[in-house]
Amino acid sequence: MEKKIFSKRNITLFFLILAIILILPLFVHGYLLRMLALIFMWIGLTACWNIIAGYTGYIDFGSVGYFGIGSYVTAILMTKAKMAFLPSLVFSGIISASFAIPIGIPTLRLRGAYFGIATLAFAEAMKQVVLELDRVAHINFFGGSHGITLPIGPGNEFFYYVMFTLMFMVMAVTLWIERSRFGYSLKAIHEAENTAELVGVNTLFAKTTAYTISAFFLGMFGATEAYWVTYITPNDVFNIHVTIQMVIMTLLGGMGTVMGPIVGGSFLTIISEILWARFIYTYMILLGIIILIVIIFMPKGIVGTIRGLVIKKKVT
Amino acid sequence: MAFLEAKKVSKFFGALAAVSEIDFTLEKGEILGMIGPNGSGKTTLFNVIVGVYPPDRGKILFSGKDISGKKPHKICHLGITKTSQIVQPFTSMTVLENVMIGGMFGKGLTLSKAKEKAKEFIDFVGLSKYLDEPSGKITVASRRRLELARALATEPEIILLDENMAGLTPWEIDEVLELLRKVNKDMGITLFVVEHVMRAVMGISERIIVLNYGEKIAEGSPEEVAKDPAVIEAYLGEKYA
Amino acid sequence: MLLLLQTVVNGVLLGGIYAAYSAGFSLIFGVMGIINIAHGELVMLGAFSTYWMFTLFKIDPFISLPISLVLLFGIGYLLQKFIFNRVVEAPSIMSYIATFGVHLIIANLALLLWTADFRSITTSYSGIHLNLGGVIIPYARLVTFFLAFVVIIGLYIFLYKTDTGRAIQATAQDKEVARLMGVNVYRIYAITFAIGAAITGIAGSLISTYFIIYPQMGLPYTIIAFCVVVLGGMGYIPGALWGGLILGVVESLTATYLSAGLSVAITFILLFFMLIFRPAGIVGKGIIE
Ligand SMILES: Nc1ncnc2c1ncn2[C@@H]1O[C@H](COP(=O)(O)OP(=O)(O)O)[C@@H](O)[C@H]1O
Ligand SMILES: [Mg+2]
Repeated sequence: MEKKIFSKRNITLFFLILAIILILPLFVHGYLLRMLALIFMWIGLTACWNIIAGYTGYIDFGSVGYFGIGSYVTAILMTKAKMAFLPSLVFSGIISASFAIPIGIPTLRLRGAYFGIATLAFAEAMKQVVLELDRVAHINFFGGSHGITLPIGPGNEFFYYVMFTLMFMVMAVTLWIERSRFGYSLKAIHEAENTAELVGVNTLFAKTTAYTISAFFLGMFGATEAYWVTYITPNDVFNIHVTIQMVIMTLLGGMGTVMGPIVGGSFLTIISEILWARFIYTYMILLGIIILIVIIFMPKGIVGTIRGLVIKKKVT
Repeated sequence: MAFLEAKKVSKFFGALAAVSEIDFTLEKGEILGMIGPNGSGKTTLFNVIVGVYPPDRGKILFSGKDISGKKPHKICHLGITKTSQIVQPFTSMTVLENVMIGGMFGKGLTLSKAKEKAKEFIDFVGLSKYLDEPSGKITVASRRRLELARALATEPEIILLDENMAGLTPWEIDEVLELLRKVNKDMGITLFVVEHVMRAVMGISERIIVLNYGEKIAEGSPEEVAKDPAVIEAYLGEKYA
Repeated sequence: MLLLLQTVVNGVLLGGIYAAYSAGFSLIFGVMGIINIAHGELVMLGAFSTYWMFTLFKIDPFISLPISLVLLFGIGYLLQKFIFNRVVEAPSIMSYIATFGVHLIIANLALLLWTADFRSITTSYSGIHLNLGGVIIPYARLVTFFLAFVVIIGLYIFLYKTDTGRAIQATAQDKEVARLMGVNVYRIYAITFAIGAAITGIAGSLISTYFIIYPQMGLPYTIIAFCVVVLGGMGYIPGALWGGLILGVVESLTATYLSAGLSVAITFILLFFMLIFRPAGIVGKGIIE
């Protein structure tokens, strides 16, 4: 099946949407713009998770670890080294990625649930270390449970553009993976890892690469969010619910697809924005119910289910 | 110097010696057969050769170089690949994509070059009409051919075939045997064949080794092996006792 | 020296509690391959059922144990029958996420119903303890400790000596073969989950007599259960005891000699390295794939 992603119509549509997104801040301000930036962030985060979990099938329960590392790197560079945001952002990505290599190589040898638990342990250990290290080592670096206050950042427009750029980059990488040799190796790992290895796929290298790419972007999102909210604590930026949100959004949208994170990410961010502040518990219950419905009745996610319906229609 | 050689190779699972002190040589261009009752260690020996498990003792030499302990993808790049007893295709990929994986990663071809080559191998094994079928949807017999095509796509020097004919009808077996002869004669690929179907392995191999309880109990031409009392007791005894 | 002794005793007692509420987690994983993220909620429900029976009807926690047991058995059975049985054959990610959905629903329903308040039970025997030459052993914890043994031994006997137990084992080993032997695999799953939930529920009941309870307590308990079970070997039930004891003692030592906050970090670091170097657990009998 040859899919024509780069058809003339799609390209026109793409530039039209791009133009709208770029000029939107001229017309839209305040809450709505903030909301859009938030959607971009969640789509981007979800896409990061999708790169490792959706394509290779390695369910990462510790993604927030890299988000948190990115947040702290930028917070520390901006406050302690007085570095500007953009270079800090790049450092956040690089440092997150350089954590991902030594963490990924041993954990990606584990299969199934074991990988999930090991990554969860990594993220929780990071949180605890950041929380406790100052007290134990008698230093003043991470700020313990009080966290770090960053310099006040520019307005929502700035974060709108940064989040969009990051999201755009992750989506571009995903699209590239989808169509590249590298993407094939990831899918092969997902389907039958032993066979992949037998026919020459360096599975550990491919998995670690995917994991590192994912961590690189997660770190940059964490950095941007830190600067945006201007105040971070270990409990916020290493919160397991961030990972869980990525998992649910990916699942809701459809695993291992380019569109999945876009659909799942925007859908859930909007619902949560409407319900969260006012009816938090009800929202969480609803979320639980949505999860069960998706899992039981539409395991391919929204994108997969719609695609299935469309194909059926074409056949009949 | 033998093309592929095992020197006193052992592999343990806990206390069980699944493969015990096995020696064998495989000459370039030949077809070597391996038989043995279920659980005698054939699959394990194959897995040790291709690097799924490192040997606990002993060495594997390929063209005189020690390859023991290398990862399967490395060994594939060196020129040895395997088809599995339990077929594991990349289920949601098409037949074409399955074979392309072999070309891309086993041989290092680009995506488009791998596609071109994959079509040739698919044609060779006779699966052209299923080119764009998801590999999960084709019959078991076709999947076994797919395994062969994917192995060929890595352009190996040696293919280990682990019960590649299990579950096929006699007629299908004849076809596969014909294919394997072509692989051996025309492509010059050395074959090491494990087969439960006696007729198949006897018919195609020039030489056969026999395993029982992880040990090599006999080696020789099909006729010699078939007459060997130890083999009759171990292998045929299981069936006819 | 006394401090060290007391620290180790505390650790062992804590380990008993860990083992008591982790055995069910191990059972559920061993039989169905489900990582139950809602496990902590089962502890929470057990704790709250005891709490309410105590505050509303003045039923002593030890008397309400069988009631919690039956209640959680029922809840577990229904959860498996109506929810998890529908995903148990899907890729494992689906079952993790389904359990996460259940975690969200139960925890937040509890928040709606009972508010986020911290609660505790004070019984006539709260605070009484054994004094062994200066080493203090609270009775309630001692009882939990013995209960952990009873539960694990009981589970062991059940799995090896009863027909249902053997059917559960057959299913865990190879569900297709079990099916061919006429085992109703889905019913066995429901019973397994129910048993897992029931023993976890009584552990929760006991915990309510000396720990603070609140609707959101679940997730930390789930995470500890993960650690315990990985340390002992996933799916290997007696391993929960080993895992619990090791974790309890390590945490207790860290808290006394390093810093209380670090003990959680140590837990996770321990877990991380365990997974990498000994994924089958300390005694090497866990399920690896
Ligand atoms: N991964 C494994 N773990 C433990 N035991 C194994 C494993 N693989 C094979 N075995 C055991 O090793 C022995 C040889 O098995 P195998 O090589 O599959 O035999 P064959 O292919 O000749 O039927 C058998 O007793 C089998 O149970
Ligand atoms: Mg075999």
